[in-house]
Amino acid sequence: MFKIFSSVRKEFLLLVSDKVGLALMFVMPLLLVFIITIIQDSAYKIVNENEIPMLVVNHDEGRQGAELLNLLITSRLFKIDTLNNLPESALKKELLARGKMIALYIPSGFSAGLESNAGEVSHIMMKDLGLEQDSAQIKMEKMPALSFYHDPVLQENYSASITGVIDSYMGMIEKSMMIERIYSDMDLGAKSDKLNAKMTTNRVRINQIIASNNNSAVIPNSTQHNVPAWTIFAMFFMVVSLGSNIVKERVNGSFLRLKTMPTSFMLVMFSKMAIYVIVAILQVALTFSVGVWILPKIGLPELTIPTNFPAFAAVVLISSLAAVSYALLIGALAHTQEQANGFGAISIIIFGAIGGILVPTFVMPEFMQFASNFSPLHWCLEGFYILFLKGGSWHELRWVMLFLGVFILICQLCTYIKLRIEKII
Amino acid sequence: MYNGPAIQIDNITKRYKSTREDSLSQVNLQINQSDVFGLLGPNGAGKTTLISILCGIISPSAGSVNYFIKGEPVFEQERRSLVGFVPQEYAFYLELSARQNLDYFGAMYNLSKRELTPRIDELLEALGLSKSADKKVGTFSGGMKRRVNLAIGLIHNPAILFLDEPTVGVDVQSRNAIIKYLEEINQTGTTIVYTSHHMSEAEEFCNRIALIDHGKVIVEGGLQELLVENEASSLQSLFIKLTGEEYRD
Repeated sequence: MFKIFSSVRKEFLLLVSDKVGLALMFVMPLLLVFIITIIQDSAYKIVNENEIPMLVVNHDEGRQGAELLNLLITSRLFKIDTLNNLPESALKKELLARGKMIALYIPSGFSAGLESNAGEVSHIMMKDLGLEQDSAQIKMEKMPALSFYHDPVLQENYSASITGVIDSYMGMIEKSMMIERIYSDMDLGAKSDKLNAKMTTNRVRINQIIASNNNSAVIPNSTQHNVPAWTIFAMFFMVVSLGSNIVKERVNGSFLRLKTMPTSFMLVMFSKMAIYVIVAILQVALTFSVGVWILPKIGLPELTIPTNFPAFAAVVLISSLAAVSYALLIGALAHTQEQANGFGAISIIIFGAIGGILVPTFVMPEFMQFASNFSPLHWCLEGFYILFLKGGSWHELRWVMLFLGVFILICQLCTYIKLRIEKII
Repeated sequence: MYNGPAIQIDNITKRYKSTREDSLSQVNLQINQSDVFGLLGPNGAGKTTLISILCGIISPSAGSVNYFIKGEPVFEQERRSLVGFVPQEYAFYLELSARQNLDYFGAMYNLSKRELTPRIDELLEALGLSKSADKKVGTFSGGMKRRVNLAIGLIHNPAILFLDEPTVGVDVQSRNAIIKYLEEINQTGTTIVYTSHHMSEAEEFCNRIALIDHGKVIVEGGLQELLVENEASSLQSLFIKLTGEEYRD
């Protein structure tokens, strides 16, 4: 027992003496969580939140421009900022200057154009029904056009969905105007509210159901992506500390010296793994605490802790073991500390990039989404996503556990083979 | 004092996979208990390979090594507890203090905390490291590091001690302290197997030597007998006479 205690204590002392390694493992993820969450928060809000910031310039003199604006406001889909004095030629510049992603221009004569169109529809209908109408009353106007401005970074499908919403509101306005005009031309008095409601608002509904196990309505936000993502990144970044620690022991002969002693090399490896798994758990505790208690205080979304705690613990443990195993492998393969630090750090950045740590995989091209399957960081993140966003059942986590389990086995096996070749084991 | 065989080396041959020649070829030696046995030879002669085999770091391609304590054979696990090894490199942790290093390696030799504490104090005192015991070894001079390296090899009071160039690159005072302490423990019955390039030090310290070159034992025996047999005035002249004057890489 004293032997195990001494071995673990030695690893602990080596760890605390490595100030740079500690800073990389604990300070770096906190900084990254703060910085990247703040930076990405607005982008995630655009994707996730109802109120999309929109600049509206209404040059219409009639009531339909105001009606469209009112529908946009009452929809609660947009956070409207109106600037009616702005000429259309200055709209692009203003859009970029105000940091808004989208703008809508309602031209002068918009209402007149819509009324003219409604009149024309009514006229055709009256004629087809054989009813008399005073043709002198019809004043033909050109059908108006709205202009939708958007930032070039806005995805095509995203801008298409916004124009779809506007188009739907325009449909409601136009139908309402036609009913009103037909009622007027047929001398039926005010339009029927019942008919109006049936034709404009009583449409086929599309029910949206979130496909998660616990029917959780939690949707990804910047905190839920960045807190686990950068924690995983920091876990794997322990390669800089643990990897160089192993290289040092290999190169200076400590491992060979241990081989002459009545001790098992497995004890040495177990001690290293135990200490660094504890480090990884502390990293999770630290960054997740920041996500729960500190980020909401600076206006960022709060981190929702998963309800399935055993599954959460299992994902943390297997992610930690994957990170430690990778660090052991790099430590066994590298010839110098510089190699371990350089290759270790760069490989983690690359794994992070393709694994969806820096940019979520869902915005990546298809082949990169496929490539992400080869990153252990992706599977760790996937595990946290399943816990946070899908209620995390063991069944859903099985692929994550399988991939990471295989990854750990491969790393440990390669480490063993390399150390055997070097006669250390 | 018992002086029967402590190590019996029979027909040891070692060929590394990366080389075509044997690093050691048909080496036969007997090292007796309480000997200070010098394994001497030029660079690349095979000294470190032989000492690595004797310590169990690498296995021989052929041949066998047997260990004895007072005539009784010693088996693998027991051997590890009875043998001490002091490598050429500073094979310890520069980030830890001398005491922490000794504490760790002592525990790896299965010593209990109760056994370790007085032993660490004794070694630190004997090797002049008491005052710096709790400082990080990384801040030590070369001589102090050599003494820490030696102390680790001695922490469990080994019956057989292997020293691979224990005084390389140290000042006169440290070398003197190291040799003096090694002579003291040899007086208490510890068998010492030692390699060095310092011929005068070896001449002064060893009672028996084996001269190795190109993986073979050229001569072996008591120092004085070898000097007389080969008509050499000193170990250095014997060394040059038997291994030649050309450079070795």
